[in-house]
Amino acid sequence: MIGKRLRFETKHPTEFVDLTDRLRDEVRRAGMRMGRLHLQSLHTTLGLAVNENEPLLLRDFEGLLERLAPSGASYEHDDFERRFDVAMNEPVNGHAHCRQLLLAGFATLLVEDGELVLGRWQSVFAVELDGPRHRELAVQMDGDFSLSPSGWGLGSGAPELLDLELSRQLLVDPEPVAAPMRRLVEAGGKRLRPKLVQLTAGIGPRSEPLRAAALAAAVELLHNATLIHDDYVDESTHRRGRPTVAAAEGPERAVAVGDYYFAKATRLIAEIGNRSVTSTIAEALEAICASQIDDVALRGAYPGDHDSYLRVVRGKTAALFAGACASGALLSESTPETVEALRRYGDLLGVAFQMADDLVDFSPSSGKPVGLDIRQRVLSLPLIYAAEDRAVGPEVRRLLAGSLGDAEVDRVTELVTSSDALQRVRDEAQALVDAAVRELETVDLDGLRPTLISLAHSAVDRIS
Amino acid sequence: MAIQVADRDLERLESLWEDGLSEAYRSYLEAVEVYEPAAQPRLALAAALVEVGIRLQGLGGRVAAPPTLLIGDLCLARSSRLLADAAPQSVQVAFARAIEEMAWAAASGRAVPKTRELLLRALDAK
Repeated sequence: MIGKRLRFETKHPTEFVDLTDRLRDEVRRAGMRMGRLHLQSLHTTLGLAVNENEPLLLRDFEGLLERLAPSGASYEHDDFERRFDVAMNEPVNGHAHCRQLLLAGFATLLVEDGELVLGRWQSVFAVELDGPRHRELAVQMDGDFSLSPSGWGLGSGAPELLDLELSRQLLVDPEPVAAPMRRLVEAGGKRLRPKLVQLTAGIGPRSEPLRAAALAAAVELLHNATLIHDDYVDESTHRRGRPTVAAAEGPERAVAVGDYYFAKATRLIAEIGNRSVTSTIAEALEAICASQIDDVALRGAYPGDHDSYLRVVRGKTAALFAGACASGALLSESTPETVEALRRYGDLLGVAFQMADDLVDFSPSSGKPVGLDIRQRVLSLPLIYAAEDRAVGPEVRRLLAGSLGDAEVDRVTELVTSSDALQRVRDEAQALVDAAVRELETVDLDGLRPTLISLAHSAVDRIS
Repeated sequence: MAIQVADRDLERLESLWEDGLSEAYRSYLEAVEVYEPAAQPRLALAAALVEVGIRLQGLGGRVAAPPTLLIGDLCLARSSRLLADAAPQSVQVAFARAIEEMAWAAASGRAVPKTRELLLRALDAK
């Protein structure tokens, strides 16, 4: 389920605003293949209708509304002397409220094969009854999506803005550093961190898509810079299906490219000129680096324990999720309560995301080689739980204490899969997502709550 | 001139203090005198951390082993946080450009410019 607000201005006291094309665009942008689009008027003098967009017919409707609830008639609602709490600018609009009673305040439209299901002559109208006004409709979509719905709710063209900004930044860099980074960026990745930046940058009163895209691109470059150093540290040969920078071009180049983009990203963020944003991302980066040191240190006591795992993952993965959420909200000048709620949401989501990533190592259908984390002795919660298991634990610990060839990795994978470790991790990740969603309940998110909820669920859906 | 470095700013990097960080720190104290007194130790430490971090990583030379590289990374990240907290925007940008210049040179196989010269120039960007 994802949602947002549709905003528009009306110009006349009574007006039929045809929303059909906008709604079709929203369905396409969301990538919804099959499901329902729900619309709800957020006003008591704005109705919804599905009918034919023929100018003379619309005049007939207007005439009908005028006959049923004449604007010149007497309405008790307009007798301000008998009412309590009347605002200074209270309009005389009893007729508009009565007309709204004749219309629907909400509508559900079906979506099939990625298109709104509408008859040949059907259009979807918001019916203004007391204009001109600034109006809002709440929109929610639920169903099957062919694309990740996380691009939806970002505002028109946000994913494209991010792509353009990343391309632009890589275009101006010298080739010795730009070429390896371009290969990494173009190889894909989920881009959750920049999406979180762009989403949360739309929540506050100062929503500026270009600044949000600049910050989002910088956060993505920073994330990739840390991956380039990680791959050297972990001796990884491949990432996103391509050779790592360290494997392809040597560790010297990898360290230089990582440093270049670490510096460039911090510069881009500094140039945005919002000190709170700069500090938030700098703190996240510091947490990432500190936990990388812990991560490597813990490999001596592999597979470690739950507390150590959480400490490392909070820094290594969750810190930038939290920083992305908080920095976007800060950029749009959201309230401190909203910023903190989003920071907590990002932290919980980041840990859940990492747990889901750990589970992928045991999934033959993931497209990644099974057991890679075991082979590289990467911190992994399923391994920690399996090592604690009464039945398989002793053998898991014994195997992990020795050298890990193909046979040992296969056996450890088999033991983990046969225990309840995977289910425990799945349950724990789901509980974290639920907790992340609860963080969103107490703050105003300008209609983006369903999108953030959907994004949180998608973090663990890949393991269910 | 003695300026006290906050414990928090050296957390996890204490062992570097006697291993070149204090010397680097002192070398930047004069350059930061133009800044507010409260900002001076953090700016001098930020510069010293970049200098030591780059050296630890082996940028432009023989790359450090992973554990040492990670300490170098933490030095750069800590420096970035100190600058975010205490430096004007122009200095933050100048520091980043200095690192970009060194990293680009290293990636291109060219001689890496002297870190201290670049950072002293960056501190002038106030």
